[in-house]
Amino acid sequence: MSHHTRTQTPGRRRGMRMAALVAAAGLALTACSGDSGVPGASNDDGDEAPAAEGEATIRFAWWGSDTRHEVTQEILDNFMEEHPDITVVSDFTDWNGYWDKLATTVAAGDTPDVITQEERYLRDYASRNVLADLNEFSGTIDLSSIDDSIIEAGQTDGGQYGIPTGVNAYAILADEQIFADAGVEMPDDETWTWEDYVEIASEISANTEDGVFGAQDYGFNEPGFAIFARQRGENLYNEDGSLGFSADTLAEWWEISLQLRDQGGTPSASETIEVDAGGPEQSLVGTNSGAMAFFWTNQLEAVSNAAGRDITLLRHPGESQYERTGMYFKPAMFYSMSANSQYPEAAATLIDYLLNSEEAAELMLSDRGLPANTEVRAAVQDQFSEIDQQAADFLADLEDEIVDGLPVPPVGAGEVAEITRRINAEVLFDRLSPQEAAEQFINEVETATGQ
Amino acid sequence: MSALGELAALRKTKGAKDTLSPSERGDNKAAIFFLAPWFIGLGLITAGPLLASLYLSFTDYSLLEAPSWIGIENYVRMLDDPRLHNSLVVTFTYVFVSVPLQLAAALGLAMVLDRGLRGLAIYRSVYYLPSLLGGSVAIAILWRQIFGTNGLVNQVLGIFGIQGQGWVSHPDYALGTLMILNVWTFGAPMIIFLAGLRQIPEMYYEASSIDGAGRVRKFVSITLPLLTPIIFFNLVLQVIGAFQAFTQAFVVSGGGGGPADSTLFYTLYLYQNGFRSFDMGYASAMAWLLLVIIAALTAANFFFSKYWVFYND
Amino acid sequence: MTERQDAVSTPRENPARDASVTEAVPPGPQSQAGAASGGAGTLPVPAVAFSTDERPPLRKHRRTAGSRVRSLLKHAGLIGFGFVMLYPLLWMLSSSIKPNALIFRDPSLLPTELDLSNYTVGWNALLHPFSHYLLNSFIIVLGSVLGNLMSCSLAAYAFARLKFKGRPIWFAIMLMSIMLPIHVVIVPQYILFSQLEWINTFLPLIVPKLLATDAFFIFLMVQFFRGIPKELDEAARIDGAGHARIFFRIMLPLATPALATTAIFTFIWTWNDFFSQLIFLTNPDMYTVPVALRTFVDSTGESSWGSLFAMSIVSLIPIFLVFLFGQKYLVKGIATTGIK
Repeated sequence: MSHHTRTQTPGRRRGMRMAALVAAAGLALTACSGDSGVPGASNDDGDEAPAAEGEATIRFAWWGSDTRHEVTQEILDNFMEEHPDITVVSDFTDWNGYWDKLATTVAAGDTPDVITQEERYLRDYASRNVLADLNEFSGTIDLSSIDDSIIEAGQTDGGQYGIPTGVNAYAILADEQIFADAGVEMPDDETWTWEDYVEIASEISANTEDGVFGAQDYGFNEPGFAIFARQRGENLYNEDGSLGFSADTLAEWWEISLQLRDQGGTPSASETIEVDAGGPEQSLVGTNSGAMAFFWTNQLEAVSNAAGRDITLLRHPGESQYERTGMYFKPAMFYSMSANSQYPEAAATLIDYLLNSEEAAELMLSDRGLPANTEVRAAVQDQFSEIDQQAADFLADLEDEIVDGLPVPPVGAGEVAEITRRINAEVLFDRLSPQEAAEQFINEVETATGQ
Repeated sequence: MSALGELAALRKTKGAKDTLSPSERGDNKAAIFFLAPWFIGLGLITAGPLLASLYLSFTDYSLLEAPSWIGIENYVRMLDDPRLHNSLVVTFTYVFVSVPLQLAAALGLAMVLDRGLRGLAIYRSVYYLPSLLGGSVAIAILWRQIFGTNGLVNQVLGIFGIQGQGWVSHPDYALGTLMILNVWTFGAPMIIFLAGLRQIPEMYYEASSIDGAGRVRKFVSITLPLLTPIIFFNLVLQVIGAFQAFTQAFVVSGGGGGPADSTLFYTLYLYQNGFRSFDMGYASAMAWLLLVIIAALTAANFFFSKYWVFYND
Repeated sequence: MTERQDAVSTPRENPARDASVTEAVPPGPQSQAGAASGGAGTLPVPAVAFSTDERPPLRKHRRTAGSRVRSLLKHAGLIGFGFVMLYPLLWMLSSSIKPNALIFRDPSLLPTELDLSNYTVGWNALLHPFSHYLLNSFIIVLGSVLGNLMSCSLAAYAFARLKFKGRPIWFAIMLMSIMLPIHVVIVPQYILFSQLEWINTFLPLIVPKLLATDAFFIFLMVQFFRGIPKELDEAARIDGAGHARIFFRIMLPLATPALATTAIFTFIWTWNDFFSQLIFLTNPDMYTVPVALRTFVDSTGESSWGSLFAMSIVSLIPIFLVFLFGQKYLVKGIATTGIK
């Protein structure tokens, strides 16, 4: 090999390699920019001729644990039997993995046809044209038996981007046994005040053995604050996505939390954080070491099973203390559809089935919240387990007291859970005063939601 | 970039010889053959995503919509992001404390478990077991069983009448427990050390035994110098790995890097930006800053290696 | 490279320079290897006395009461430390045989009630029996191990022994490829694989390994190859052996510990790799062990901790066995492998 060729060979090789690089990068980038946007407009596969769809294969994505997967698969099998021309491919994983995967598939234009959504991310996806406006499929998806106020929860950016699967409420789960052990009477949850709450919790801690507490700290979850603010006539978010509360209200919320900690009603800061990270099974109520904790009503079963005791549902304190009630029905999840679905009619058919089929509801029961469809709910209610029945009754009692739902949270609301948890830790460890914390929270949330 | 030492060494040899020997010319040809799979992999699989992420770092990219070019804005934003600065502090602390500790533990146990002991296979396997767990979700629970308020550590402290606290959930100690977690999983470097020890020709030890050298002297004058390439390898890769530490912090803190950002590793913050805040452009820019940091440290490692790493070739 | 060597060897009386490789004619089992290499004829590979599992007989004579006590203490220390190391795993094991409800209510190490139902329930809790996911993982792991062994050792030979043009730069590029966190490259990678229609196949998880994208193992083998005395390949070269021959006949056999390390690590890490398997496999039929394990836990609802722990234990068994079996090869080293 001469000197000449020796220098040229690697050069040529590098050139070829670079070409391959650029090709690969280019491939990647065109895919980025190509598939993920603009619904309707560039669709050659879109909503042209639903009738001609014929055989369709659609993908349905959801999150959850093994019990939900099993039930859902059964529902899907039934659905496919009823609709032999539609094949549904399931795509499920745990909560965290779900959102990573969903974002990645959307980026590559591989969006699942039917997507399970959550309040906090609904607007993120809807405003970026990932989701289809389900109003266009009103012929297929029957919403007549679902309460308008619940349907509204999926309306944002001028369209119906999700339909609630069912509803939950954020409530207090109380262990009557611990109340009894402490010799403290169960409160009347229609009239109790926040002051009562602090007092009761502290009393229980004082009257029970070490390691048993009156309450679990509530400051890590922003829906709790939303209720607190609504009681005072404020709100977490306004319709337009701006913040609807004053710093003073938020500071007060954290001050009560510190009062509880200082009076021994809740555990020390580090134990609180630990318990919070453990989920329902490792919560204070779940491990028989606390009398009260805030949870969603659909978590009642998990907590009850972990505790091995009957757990009672209570309203938030302060529901009759201020201007109005604060509690609300939260859509447990939403069914949404990809804006770029190749088989939108098939996807709509599946959504309709999941919402309105009694057969489906009999399997699903309250796993995706208390069914949004009131007719279906009435039909399957007697099949609920005792615990589900308890939750259903509790929600039914609330029906008349609840003033309205929450507006759809703004784009970026998915980050707020994280911000709340972090700033709450700062407060509990006395690294920020409640007032400072409130200001920082407002700052960060406004940045996150682009307000 | 990261092979400054190599570069310097190569220049030296080149300067010494003006013309290439026939065998070296053959080397070029052979290299193409030996590196063929790697070149293909680089071109087809590695380089594309790498360059794509570089491009994305100059864009506003939500993952859900097409990226739009915004120049160096992401990089400018990094200057003024307190959480990013905090995550750098957390990560650097983690790297500089836990990597040396982990390597020391690994080397120490590799020496003990090298030979001359009954049941070595069992011991090795037992000590490797924790590393098998990887990033299992169970880690979070297990770690709480040790460092939680009612965990093993506090139970032991309780025997001595000391009232411990929840280490894993206290902002001042949480990072420490993650460092211990990292040291706890010293299995991988230990195995590499063991393999390295195996490669040291026995005759050196025999020769020095004849010279009457003791254990310590054998360790210092034979084992250590001959093991330096492996120590170096472990150092370089554990540093790279520690900078990218993610899974354990993610699992233990439940994804948030808490309490109060005390375990917010750089990659965890990057992940939050990319997948939770739909800001993959910023995440990509962060990734490239990390690459520059790691590359600089690796280059430094290579540069200093010529003072302490001994090769046979 | 010469320069670097000198820097070390001068102050420390570099042992490699003291003892010429050919001088050491080994007793015992090594002589067989020596004979074998002599028999092969073409390669007068010097019989290098690499270590074996047994210590030279010299040691045995010195077994006194003092050393026995010392060895006892050593065992006691190792067992005690081993317990601390294993505590979390023992806790997991004990939790896996507790009734689900007691796991967190009664978190002590010794179970008060025995209940093996977590294993039976966990095995069948998902859409397929757990063996399905074990099998999927095995396929990926097998492909990855083979891929890494072949492709990384080839590349490592080039970086360790060949003086090709631009080597430092390519080396730097290789290292650079593992410096970017996976979270920013996974999306472009997904897009790439989705264009190739590889999503929901095992290809995105295996093909990259066949193409030496795991720089960790290239670098690992480079370091080991460089630890092999260069006199060996020089001798072979003088005898007219080409690179392919040196690679297969000298480097690979002598680097058995490195190959075993690579195989074991690839096995374990691929077995545990969650993120890329989660992203590239969207169809539940293709799920692997780590992805399946995640589906036992849902932070928003009810989790099956008992099943998770039980199946985690089950999924640890194969990698534990691979390790137990594979670590022999780390130990055996060269002597028993022989040099052909």
